[in-house]
Parts: sequence; structure tokens; C-alpha cells
Amino acid sequence: MTRKLIALLMTLGVLSTPSVSATQAEDINSFTLDNGMKIMVLEDSSIPNANMYIFWKVGSRNEVPGITGISHFFEHMMFNGSKKFGPKMFDRTMEAAGGANNAYTTEDMTVYTDWFPASGIETIFDLEADRIANLDINPEMVESERGVVQSERTTGLENSNWRTIQEALKSVAFSAHPYSWSVIGYESDIAAWTLEDLQQYHKTYYAPNNALVVITGDVKLAQVKALADQYFAPIPAQAPPKVVRTVEPEQKGERRVFVKKESVSTPNIMLAYHVPATSHADYYALDLLASMLSEGNSSRFYQALVDKQLAVAAETYMPMSFDPNLFYILGVANAGVSADTLEKALIEQINLIASQGVTQQELEKVKNIKLMDFYRTMETINGKANTLGTYELYFGDYTKLFNAPEAYNKVTPADIQRVAQTYLIKANRTVGVLAATEESDK
Amino acid sequence: MKTSTHSTMTLSLSAIALACSLNLAGCAATQSTTTEPVAAAPSFVMPSYQKITLDNGLTVNLMVQKEVPLVTLDAVIKAGAVNDTTSGLAYLTSQSLMLGAAGQSKADIEQQLDFIGASVNTNADAEGTYVRANMMSKDIDTVLAIFSNVIRQPDFDSAEFDKLKQREIVGLSQQKESPRAVISRYFSKLVFGQHPYANPASGNSESIATINANELRAFHKGYYQPNNMTINVVGDFDVKDMTAKLNKAFGDWQVTETVMQPDLSQDLPTLTKPRVLLVDKPDAIETTFLIGGVGIRYDNPDYVGLTVVNTILGGRFTSWLNDELRVNAGLTYGARSGFSPYSQSGLFQISTFTKSSTTKEAIDLALLTYSRLWEKGIDQATLDSAKAYVKGQFPPKYETSGQLAGLLSDMYLYGMNDDFINQFQAKVDGLTLAETQRLVTQYFPQQNLQFVLIGNAAEIADIATQYGEVTQVSITDTGFGQ
Repeated sequence: MTRKLIALLMTLGVLSTPSVSATQAEDINSFTLDNGMKIMVLEDSSIPNANMYIFWKVGSRNEVPGITGISHFFEHMMFNGSKKFGPKMFDRTMEAAGGANNAYTTEDMTVYTDWFPASGIETIFDLEADRIANLDINPEMVESERGVVQSERTTGLENSNWRTIQEALKSVAFSAHPYSWSVIGYESDIAAWTLEDLQQYHKTYYAPNNALVVITGDVKLAQVKALADQYFAPIPAQAPPKVVRTVEPEQKGERRVFVKKESVSTPNIMLAYHVPATSHADYYALDLLASMLSEGNSSRFYQALVDKQLAVAAETYMPMSFDPNLFYILGVANAGVSADTLEKALIEQINLIASQGVTQQELEKVKNIKLMDFYRTMETINGKANTLGTYELYFGDYTKLFNAPEAYNKVTPADIQRVAQTYLIKANRTVGVLAATEESDK
Repeated sequence: MKTSTHSTMTLSLSAIALACSLNLAGCAATQSTTTEPVAAAPSFVMPSYQKITLDNGLTVNLMVQKEVPLVTLDAVIKAGAVNDTTSGLAYLTSQSLMLGAAGQSKADIEQQLDFIGASVNTNADAEGTYVRANMMSKDIDTVLAIFSNVIRQPDFDSAEFDKLKQREIVGLSQQKESPRAVISRYFSKLVFGQHPYANPASGNSESIATINANELRAFHKGYYQPNNMTINVVGDFDVKDMTAKLNKAFGDWQVTETVMQPDLSQDLPTLTKPRVLLVDKPDAIETTFLIGGVGIRYDNPDYVGLTVVNTILGGRFTSWLNDELRVNAGLTYGARSGFSPYSQSGLFQISTFTKSSTTKEAIDLALLTYSRLWEKGIDQATLDSAKAYVKGQFPPKYETSGQLAGLLSDMYLYGMNDDFINQFQAKVDGLTLAETQRLVTQYFPQQNLQFVLIGNAAEIADIATQYGEVTQVSITDTGFGQ
């Protein structure tokens, strides 16, 4: 689900050598409508297409037990009919205009993505405005969509070990905060939420003052302003949603979880450590540390685990996040390597950084890798739109995207060692094991 | 996520983490309620590029794209699983290019590339071997030296190869943990039988174990020849400068072998009865299935028209298949269809998945929906919508240097020219309802459909018998069917 796109975004950010042709901060225009909806525009005529990304500040962190997964389910319901465009007409109208769309939900936000020939931009405004202002939640569509989302949940668990182990691990790593459940939610909640739950959710969270719109492509600022005034400005603002109050208590000792899945051929180990929100100053050091551990065959995990035939894969993942979240590590054992051996080998690599630190050269390497990733994302109008919106929301200001090089360049080897010593410690760790058989009591 | 791609999930966790959002296919009758007439979008044409031939016969395409200061450098070699003497040989040869070259060790190469944020990736599929380098423009010299060495002078170090083989064998077991990752390999084998297009590029756990470094060397010598490949450079570079660099790196490389290629137009399968391959995965919580048969060649003149018709059947969110199975029935998260073309033949398949208990319902609804192609046909509004859709979604397919380099590689492998792009819009515009009927009759397999079902046989074996002659294998059996 959402995790996937964010995984890409988290690796963007270093800009040490701005290029003449790459996008600059001053290329981006933004304005805010009276109803509080902020709109950012980047003109780019490299292809005769454009996009509209609408970021809603609502995700699984805004849920409570009983309605887990409703943010994601709502993402689906936004396609199922509004006043002017009834059931199925959103997609039919958009596709007939040459457009396509998708959407994704994360722990923090719900993002709708429209991709279309630039000439069709007014159709897109019309479609989006109608479902924001006048969504019509049809009871029959709710029922068939429950089946779709159950299938999405099932196919994720069937095909992805990551999904299977992560769902179990989060429920242990978080004892209080809503990051405890998966974005897709519990099966029983998917089957049970009511029409009233959905209507209340739309009213609370799908208000223009809770949204950020990013438009990139072969468009003109004046044209976008006129369309925004016509279609989005009349939608009334709502009272801001309640803040998420719960703060996860400090973890005081290692936690463990085991998941059995018969078809798993070798054990998978997931380690997760609590880390601060993305807005925290340590974000950059942690992000670079993640790359040092797992990016490229010269990385620490590849050299110590894959090349030594202990693992066939070892990866890291740190989502951008509004609230303090997790720094994930996943290792997949090679044949004949026990879960215990792999776990110890992963932890040994982490502890090595805490005890011995890293070299300046290693740090330079991951900064270069991030610069390359950044350029690749800025190669497409969709990469630009998604990255701009993500930076605006997680750092509070899209210009942080263009200041990121400085922020990354400030990180020193001592910072890397310090964040490893601060966060990647046993008492702050949850260990998940996914395997075909559980060891019996001895 | 609203819809997800069915694209193969690989072992790579980052690939899983990055798999994001392609839209599904499929459409229903469309009543356009567009609030404005859609202006004719400017026609999308092939960006200009230069084709040069080095003295040794090696062709190079140079396409300048200045959006970002990056360069993609691709080599594509006509050697794939169809050339395998041992299953998996072409793929393992490609993977082994990176195990050390021209005396430089694997670790040294990786360290050098990683330090500058560059990458060199290798792969092989049915008919091609690919070496792709990505770099910042300032690092061309460093990367080109490695790129040339791994293609021309791989060391095929035995110790490293033994380690690679062992990881690949374990990797195959792990791929089988995800039905979606492996189902197309079973389907190719079922449809193509003894023909080389049935060969899985990955090989299987037993065949891989038997391959040694000498076989890699022989395969490399036999196919990695300057007149059996092309190099495509796309990105931010100077053409004159790059031409000189490529001449220096490759110009003295001499052809030493006459490349032998199998005649893939021979012994193509004739499907004479409906068959079902049931792949048992006892802990499956859903059934993943493909239904289809023989498709088309890449250079088929009707390729574009078929893309439009398939868009209606199963190529977009509002396609018939997705509308019926997902939107109306709630049986699945997504249903689609598509052609997978090769140089001399191809596959057509419908693909979806559903929880085990609704397996029969989903297969029946997929077949019923598919039969609409013949029973009801396509109406003008739906055709107009599909045409607008494929045109509107065409330019973003060729937006990045990597996409453009990949396009040039496909054109080389499958014998196409710039018309593939430049005539696309005219071909879409010229498609009539009458033509769609001809395309349906001529190309979509209607009889003797072939099925692959991956799921819990204890629950679905009886259902499988309703669709054809059943062969059952276990997902943990070596390879991808009998």
C-alpha cells in the first residue's frame, strides 16, 4: 500500500550540485484559497501531459479501534459516486478524457493522483471538486467495495512476507499509538464499519482546509488559478480535525513476535526501533544511516550478510512520518541459516556502527547515492508532484526539498554514531520472526 | 491503494517496497460527460537521435535529453532463455558479468560504482540480455570503463559464481512464496510446451546447480559479439564527445564467432484442447489464476489496434474485466488482460485472483466477460473512450532516459523502427468498429483456453476439472510445470 511510494520518497533529498536544467525552488508557485486549500503549481512542458496530486492530512493515525482501515477504505469510496458524477462515472469520465488515476493511503495521509493530457485539466477539476463537495456514499457500493478491500488485504498477505510480518510487528512495537495497526486495518473492522462512520469521516477530513493540491506539467499558473477559483474556492471550510493525542510511551525493553506461515522457505527477521518524527533534526542522520546499512552491494548488510551467504537479502526502511515511528530492518535467511543466527548477525552490524562509527568516505558515498535518487525522481512530472507535496507536509515547507543538500551535508560521522547509539538499542527494539515452523518448548 | 500493478514481485525487498501504482485495465460502456471538448493533443513523436555504426559493426544510438544531469547507458544483446542449453544459462551469464571483470574484483567494481551513486544492472529474458548503467553525467568515464569491461572481459570467477548460484537457488524458493511472482512462468510452459519460448529465464533449482563457469564462458563467447548487440545512450551528454568515448571503449572489439540463433518461427504450439495446470500451495488463502493462449508477435501490424481493444477488455480501470470482477462483484482487487509479444509469437492472458472460496465464481465471471468480445462486441462510445485513453497515457511511457533507452532496445530486439512511435496516434485514430471485430476474430483465443491456477488444491481441485484436462503439481516441485 502506501508504504511503497513513501519508501521511494524517503530516499530523496540531497542536492549538493544543483543543475541548470533541474527544477529550482523558485520555479514553484503556490497560493491559498480563502477556504484554506493550498495549491502548488510547477509548469513543465517536457511532455504534453499534466497531473493533479491531492494530499489529504488523514491516514490510519486518525483512526480508533472499531474503524481501523477506514482511511484506506475511504480512499476507495472516493471513486464510487458523487452528486454530478454518479457511481462509476468518475473513472469513466476521466478515462474518456484520456486521463488515468490512482490513490494511496499511508499512516499519515491519503493521496489522490490524476494523470491526464494537459488539455483535459478542466475535466479533472470538475471531477475532483464534485467528490470533495458532494460525495454520495452509496450503500450498495460500500458492500461491493468491502469485498475489494478484503481482496486487497488477502493478496498482500498471500504475496508479501513484508506485509505479513510488519502487520504483526507493529501491533507489538506500538502499545498505545494508532500506528499500532496496519493501514489496511483489521479484517473484522473492514466487514463492520457503517455508513454513518463513512459520512462522518468525509465531513471531518475531506475539507479544503485539510488538503494540499500539487499540479505539475504542461499547464499555466493563471489557468490553474482560474480553475481553482471556479471549482475549489466555493467548497466551504470545516472545523479543523481533532489532533491525535496519544503519544507512544517510551519502550523499556525488547519485545518479540513470531508469525508462522508454512510456505515460507527460510526465516525472515524484522527488527524495528522507535525513532522520532520526520520533522526532528535527527531525520537526516537516520536516513543516511539506513542507506549505509543497505544500499548497494558495498553496503554493510550486503558485505557482512549476503556476501557471507548468511542472508539472501537485507534491507532497511524508514517511512516519513508525522509522529514518532519505526526504523525497520528486514533480513531473509539463506538456506540452512537459523532465525537466531540471522538476527544476531543483523544486530552485530548495527552495534558495530554504534561502537566503531563510520568513515567520512562511507558517508560521502551515501550522499552521492541520494543525489542520484533525487535526480531520478525529478525526471518525471509525477515524481516532482509527489515529492513536492510530501516535503511540504512532512517538513512543513516544500523549500526544504531544495535545502535538503545542506541538511544532509551537515551530517558528520559523529552524528551517525550518535543516532545509532541513541535509537538503535536493544531496549528500544522489537524483533519479528516469520518462519514455517516455530521452535518447540525445550 | 486504489489499484496495484500485477507486476512480478522479485526477491528484492526494495522492489517490493517500490512497487507502486499502475492502473488496471478494462472498461465498460462509456457515456462521456466531459464538461469540455477534449482538444486534440499534439501528436507524440520519437525524440530525435543519432544512429552510428562503429568499424566492427556495433551499432550505437545516441539520444540527448537534458531534463536532469543523468545518463542511461544500455547494451542489449540478442541472447536469452531461447538460447539456453541448460535452463537459466543466459540469465546466470548476465548476472555473472558483475562478478569481476578485466582483473577487477566484484567488490572493487561495486565500491567504485556505489561511491559515485552509479549503478550497473544486468538481466536476461526470453530473447535479450540487458546491461544497464545509470550515472551522473560527470561520471561517464568511470562508468563506461566498467561497463565495457563487464561486457567484453568478464572474469567469471568460480568462487563468486558458486556463491551466486547458491543464492539464486534459494531465491527461486522464495519467489515461489508469492504466486504472483511465478505464475507467468507456469503459463509460458503450459502454452509453449517444448518450444524455446517455454524456457523460464530464471532456470530452475536443479538446472542452475549444474552450470559451471566454463559454460558461462562459452555462452558469453557465442553471443556477446559486437554484431549481435546494440548500445543505446540517452541523457545529458555531448554527442561528439560520447561517440569518441564509445569508439575508444568498443571500437577495437572484433567479431570472433558467427552467432547461431534458433529459428523461433518453427514448431510453435497448436493448442488442441483446453487444459488446466493446478499448482498446489497448501497454505494459500486465495487463488491466483491466468487464462489465455497464444498471442501476437511484437511487429504485428495490428499491435496498436489490439492495444486499444485490450484496453477495453482488460487494460484500464473501467475495462470490462475489472468492472465486472472488481467493481460489480467485489470478487477481487483487480482483473486485467494483456498481450505479451515476442519476436516470433506471443502470449495472451487474463489475470486475476480471489479468495479460495470464490474461485469458481471468479473464473466463470472472467470467462463470461471475455465472451462479450464475440457475443456483444464493442460500441462506439467505448471505442472512442479507449482511443482517448491510450493516446493520453502514451507520452508518460517515454518520459525518462531509462524508458527511452528501453524503447530503443525493444526496437532492436524485435525489429521495429521509429514508426512504432510515430504512427501510433494515426493508427489509434484510424481504428473503426468494424476493424475491432476483425481483430477480435483474428487474434483473441476463443477455443482451447489454457488455465493456470495457483491455490490450495484441497479446496479447488474439483473446480479445476470443469475447465479442461487437469495436471496437478506442487509449487515446491522443481521448475514450473511438466
